[in-house]
Amino acid sequence: MLSLIFRRILYALPIAIGVSVVCFSLVYLAPGDPLQTILPADASADTIALIKHEYGFDRPIPVQYALWLWRVLHGDFGVSISTRRPVLLEVAGSLHNTAILALFSVPLSFGLGYAMGAIAGCFPGKWIDRIVTGTAVMGVSLPNYWVGIVFVILFSVEWMVLPATGMGLHGSDQFDILSWSDARFLILPVVTLAMVPIGILSRSTRAAVSEIRGQDFVVTLRAKGLSEPAIIRHVLKNSLPPVMAVMGLQFGYLMGGSILVETVFTWPGSGFLLSKAIINRDIPVLQGCILALAMVFVATNLVVDLLQAAIDPRIRRA
Amino acid sequence: MADTTLMMPSTSTATWADDAAPTQQVRSYWQSVGYRLRHDPVTLFFGLVVVLIVLAAIFAPWIAPFDPYKESIVGRLKPFGYRGHPLGTDELGRDLLSRLIYGGRSSLLMSIIPVLCATAIGGTLGVIGGFGGRAANTIIMRTMDVFYAFPSVLLAVALSGAMGGGMTSGMISLALVFIPAICRIAETATTQIRNLDFIEAAHASGAGTLTIIRHHVLGNVLGPVFVYASSLVSVAILLGSGLSFLGLGVKPPQADWGLMLSTLRQSIYINPILCALPGAAIFVTSICFNLVSDGIRAAMDVRL
Amino acid sequence: MRHKLRLFTSSVAIAAATCVTVPAIAGGVLTVAMTAGDIAVTTGTPDQGFEGFRFVGWSLYDGLVNWDLSKSDAASDIKPGLATSWNIDPEDGKRWIIHLREGVKFHDGCTFGADDVVWNFGRIADPKAPQFFTQQYALNRAYTTNYAGIEKIDDHTVAIKTNFVESLFPYTLSYIPMISRCRAEALKYDWNAYSLNPSGTGPYRYDRFVAHERLEFVPNKEYWDAKRIPHQDRLVILPMPEGGTRVAALLTGQVNFIEAPPPDTMPRLKAAGMQLITNTYPHNWPFILNFKKGPFTDERVRQAANHAMNRDDMVDLLGGYAIPEYAMVPPTMPYYGHPARYEFNVDKATALLKEAKCYPCKITLAISTSGSGQMQPLPMNELVKAQLEAVGFQVDFKVMDWNSLIEIARSGVDKYPDIDGYNGSRALLDPVSSLIKPVARAYWSPAGSNWGHFYSEDTEQTVHDILNEFDATKRLALVTKLHELESQHAVMIFIVHDVNPRALSPKVHGFVQAQNWFQDLTPISVDP
Repeated sequence: MLSLIFRRILYALPIAIGVSVVCFSLVYLAPGDPLQTILPADASADTIALIKHEYGFDRPIPVQYALWLWRVLHGDFGVSISTRRPVLLEVAGSLHNTAILALFSVPLSFGLGYAMGAIAGCFPGKWIDRIVTGTAVMGVSLPNYWVGIVFVILFSVEWMVLPATGMGLHGSDQFDILSWSDARFLILPVVTLAMVPIGILSRSTRAAVSEIRGQDFVVTLRAKGLSEPAIIRHVLKNSLPPVMAVMGLQFGYLMGGSILVETVFTWPGSGFLLSKAIINRDIPVLQGCILALAMVFVATNLVVDLLQAAIDPRIRRA
Repeated sequence: MADTTLMMPSTSTATWADDAAPTQQVRSYWQSVGYRLRHDPVTLFFGLVVVLIVLAAIFAPWIAPFDPYKESIVGRLKPFGYRGHPLGTDELGRDLLSRLIYGGRSSLLMSIIPVLCATAIGGTLGVIGGFGGRAANTIIMRTMDVFYAFPSVLLAVALSGAMGGGMTSGMISLALVFIPAICRIAETATTQIRNLDFIEAAHASGAGTLTIIRHHVLGNVLGPVFVYASSLVSVAILLGSGLSFLGLGVKPPQADWGLMLSTLRQSIYINPILCALPGAAIFVTSICFNLVSDGIRAAMDVRL
Repeated sequence: MRHKLRLFTSSVAIAAATCVTVPAIAGGVLTVAMTAGDIAVTTGTPDQGFEGFRFVGWSLYDGLVNWDLSKSDAASDIKPGLATSWNIDPEDGKRWIIHLREGVKFHDGCTFGADDVVWNFGRIADPKAPQFFTQQYALNRAYTTNYAGIEKIDDHTVAIKTNFVESLFPYTLSYIPMISRCRAEALKYDWNAYSLNPSGTGPYRYDRFVAHERLEFVPNKEYWDAKRIPHQDRLVILPMPEGGTRVAALLTGQVNFIEAPPPDTMPRLKAAGMQLITNTYPHNWPFILNFKKGPFTDERVRQAANHAMNRDDMVDLLGGYAIPEYAMVPPTMPYYGHPARYEFNVDKATALLKEAKCYPCKITLAISTSGSGQMQPLPMNELVKAQLEAVGFQVDFKVMDWNSLIEIARSGVDKYPDIDGYNGSRALLDPVSSLIKPVARAYWSPAGSNWGHFYSEDTEQTVHDILNEFDATKRLALVTKLHELESQHAVMIFIVHDVNPRALSPKVHGFVQAQNWFQDLTPISVDP
C-alpha cells in the first residue's frame, strides 16, 4: 500500500508541474497590458516602465516563470495587482468560503444522489427508476446559474424570505453557521450548487448498481440463497469504487466549478475571486486561484485513487 | 467495472467479421442500431425536438416574426402578447421570441463547433497515442492529464477570460476543455483493439499501419468517440451559455441565450417571467441533446 | 445658471423633499451598496474611480483643499480643508503658499503639520524618497503633472512649486489625501500592513475590513470640523457591481443606501417606500472625437452629429433619470454661459453632412459594455446609432469591455487612428478637467486626456489667459468664454448628463445630495 501511495504521488508530480506551466501561460493569452487597470488614464511611458519593473513584468518569459515557480514553492504567490494584498491571503480566504459551500453541498448531493441512484438501480425499469432517471437527466441538463436566478426571483424578490446575495450579515470572516441569521445565506447557493452533482451521481450510481446486479457473482450469491438485503449490501459495496471516482470529479466541480453560482449569489469564494480577477485583469490572482484549485483537484483525485485501492483489492494489484 | 470490462461495443467486432462469415449474423451492427433507435419513442421524440431547434436556428430569418435587433423605446419589457409580440419584449423593446430563435444560432454554434473540433483533434491524438508507440503515447497522454487536472468549468472560464472573452475565444476554450476527455476515450479504444487478434492478422497479411487504422481502428474507435461527443453537446450548451452569462462569450448586441439571461437578470423586478425564458431555452435544448445522446448510446450499446 | 435651473426643479425638489429633514434621533448603521466591483484601496488616493474617493478616500482622509458638499441646490466648489488658505507668491507665479490648519490630529494621535505635507508629496511624486510608493504614484499621476517640488516654510506653512503658471492649481490639491506619516513609519512602510491600519484626519476612522466584501468605519469623534462629526454610529460599504443585486439587497434590508438603482427598478423601489434621490452633477456622457483623421476633423460633421441627437428620447430610455446634454457641462455650473445649442434637427444635420461632402458618412465608434460612470452603455448606444443613421451617418460600433476601452482612451489617437470616436463618461469637477484638458495642446494624448488632439487658436489662447489670471471673477469670465468656444467648435457629441440616482431606505435621514461626484455621508442617521 505504501509503495502504491508513493507511486501515485510520483505520478501526480509531473501533472502538478504541467498545471503550473498552464497557469503561468495564462498571462500571455491575455491581450493588452496586464497592468493597464492600475495605470492612470494618461500614464506616460516612464510611469508604465516604472510600474512594470515593480511587478517584474519587464523580464524575459522563462525567467519570469522560473522566478514565479520558485516563489510559489515558497508559498509566495505574489501580490494582487488591484488590491496589492498577497495572493496567498486572497486565495486562502476565498477557498475557505468555497469550502463552506462544499461542506454542505457535498453531503446533500452525494447522499441524495447516491440514495436515488441506488434505489433506481435496485428496481430497474420500475416506476421509481423512471422517476429517478428523469430527475437525474433534468439535474444534469440544468444551467445552475439560471436555477440560482429563479430561486432569487422566488425567495428573495417575490416572497422576501431568504437573502439574495452575500455571506452573512457581517461579512465572511464573522460568518457564523450556528446562527440562523447567517445560516440563511447558505440555503440558496447550497441547494443550487447541489443540483448538478445530484443528477450526475444518481445517474452513475444507477448504472453501477444495475450493472453489478447482473454480474455472475450476484447470480451465484442469489443461488446460494442469500437474503435480498444481504445481496443489496454486496451490490452496494461493489458499486462504491466507480461511484467514488465520480464523487471525486464532482468534489472538484464543487470546489472549482462553482464560479457561476458564486457569481449569481455574490458568494465570496474562489469562483467569485476568479471572476473578479478576470474582470480586473488581475493576473497574479488569476494564476494563484487556478493553480490552487487545480491542486485541490489533483489532490482529490489522488485521494480518491487511493481510497478506491483501499476498498477494491483488484485496483491495488493493477 | 470500467477497468475490467472492454470499453467497446460488444458486437462491434462483427463489423469486421461480416465479410468472413456473413451468414452468422441476422442483422448487421448498424442495422440493429437503427432498429433499436426506431423502437425508442423517447429518443425519437427528443430527437425531433432537437431537429426543430436546429432548423429554427438555421432558418431564423424566415421564422422570426420580428427583427431581433429592432428596439423600441416605448415597448420595453412588455408582457406576453403585447402588440403582436408573442413572448413580449426585452429591456430594449426587442421581440423576445425572435431573439430566442436567433439566440439559438450562437448558442448552438458555440456548443457544436467546439465539440466537432475537439472530436477531430482529440480523436486523432487518441488514435496516434494508441497506435504510435510508447513515446508518442506518453507525450500525448501526459499532456492530456495536465489539462484533465482542471475542473472543466474552471478551465473554460480561465482560458476564455485570459483570452479576453468573445465568441471565438469561448469556442477555443471549450474545445480545449473537451479534447483531453475525447482523446482518452479514443486512446483506450485504440489500445484495446490494437491487441485484438484481427489486427495482428491484418499485420501478418502485410497491410500497412495506415491501412489498418483506416479500415479497422477508425471503425471501432469512432463508435465510442461519437457517443461520448454527442453527450458533450449538452455540456457545451451549458458551459458556452455560462461563459456568455459571465460576459466571457458572445458579445452584445448579438442575441444569445446566456447573454440574454445575464441582461434580463437586471429586470427581474419588472417582468420576472421574461428573465426566466432564455434560461428555459438553454435547459430544454440541453436536456433534449442529453436524452438523444442517451438513446444513441443505448442503441449502439456503448459503455464509456 | 439661475435661468437654467428650471430644468432641474423637479429632481431637486425630490431631493429637497426627502432629504432636508432634520434627523430626529442620531445613530444607527449606514450600510451602502456601491457600484464598484471592489473596495478601493485605503492607502491614500483610492482606486475605483471617484466612487473610491466618495466612500473611502474622503471618509478616512482630507485634502489640503476639500469640496463643499453641504448644499444640494448649488454647484459645489472647493473650500479650505487641511489648509486654511492659499495664495500665489507675489514674486513668483509658479509658487503657491499654503497655510495649514493648526490643531488637527490624525486618528493615531499624531499632530498634523508641514512635515506631513512634505512627506506626503514625497510619497506620491519623488521616486528617491523612502516613503515613495508606486501604487500611489500611479494613482496620483494625473494630479502631479504640474507639481515641481515642495518646501517647508514653517511648521504651519508650506510652498509648492509648479512647472508652469496655473491659476487653477488649488483644484489639483483637492484630489490628494494626506495620510499619516506616523502610522506609515511605525509600520516601516509596509503598505499592505498600512492598508489594514490606515490613519488619516478624516471624519471616519477605519474599523474593519473583509477583502472584496466590506469596509467598516466608525465616526471620528475628534474630527476637526465639528459640524461634520458623523451622526451615525457606523458606516459600512459593500461593493455590488450589479444593479439588480443592489436593489435586492435594499429590498431585503441587507443595505439601506444604494448607488445607481437601474431606472427600470424605480417603480418597484418607490412602491416599497424607498426614497429615490437624484440631482444634477458635473458628469457627461459624450462621444470623444478624433480630430486628426476621419470625418470628425470637419466641424460641420461634428455639428451634424450633435443635431442628430434626440436627447429627449434618450432621457425617456433612461426612465427620466438623466438630463439632456447640450454642452460640456450641465447648466448648473457657474461657467455655463450661453453656448451654441445643437437642437435635435434631422434636416439641418443632413444638410450639414451634404455640405461637408460626407454623405453617407461612415464612422467607426468604440463603446464599452459597462464601466464606471458609463450609465447603461449598450441600450443607450443602440439609440445613438439609430439616431446617427437617421441623418446619414453609417455607424460601425466596436463593442469592447471597459478595460479595452480604457486602453484606447489612454493610448490616444495616434495608436488608434481608425477610431473616429469613443464613448467615455467624464467627471467634470473643476474647470481644468472639464474644459482645459479635453482641448489644450499641452494635454494631447498619450500624455494627457486630449484624446483626439484637438487644437484651435482661440481655445488655446483662452486656456493660456485662464491659467495666468489670478483674479477669480475675471477668471470665471474667461472660463465661461472657453466653455462657449468648445460648444461652438462642437468638440464632442453631447448626449446626456447623469443625475446619479440613489435609493435610500425610509429609515435613513439627513442625506443631502450635493451636485458633485463626492458626497458627504456624515449628516446621515439611521432609525433602528
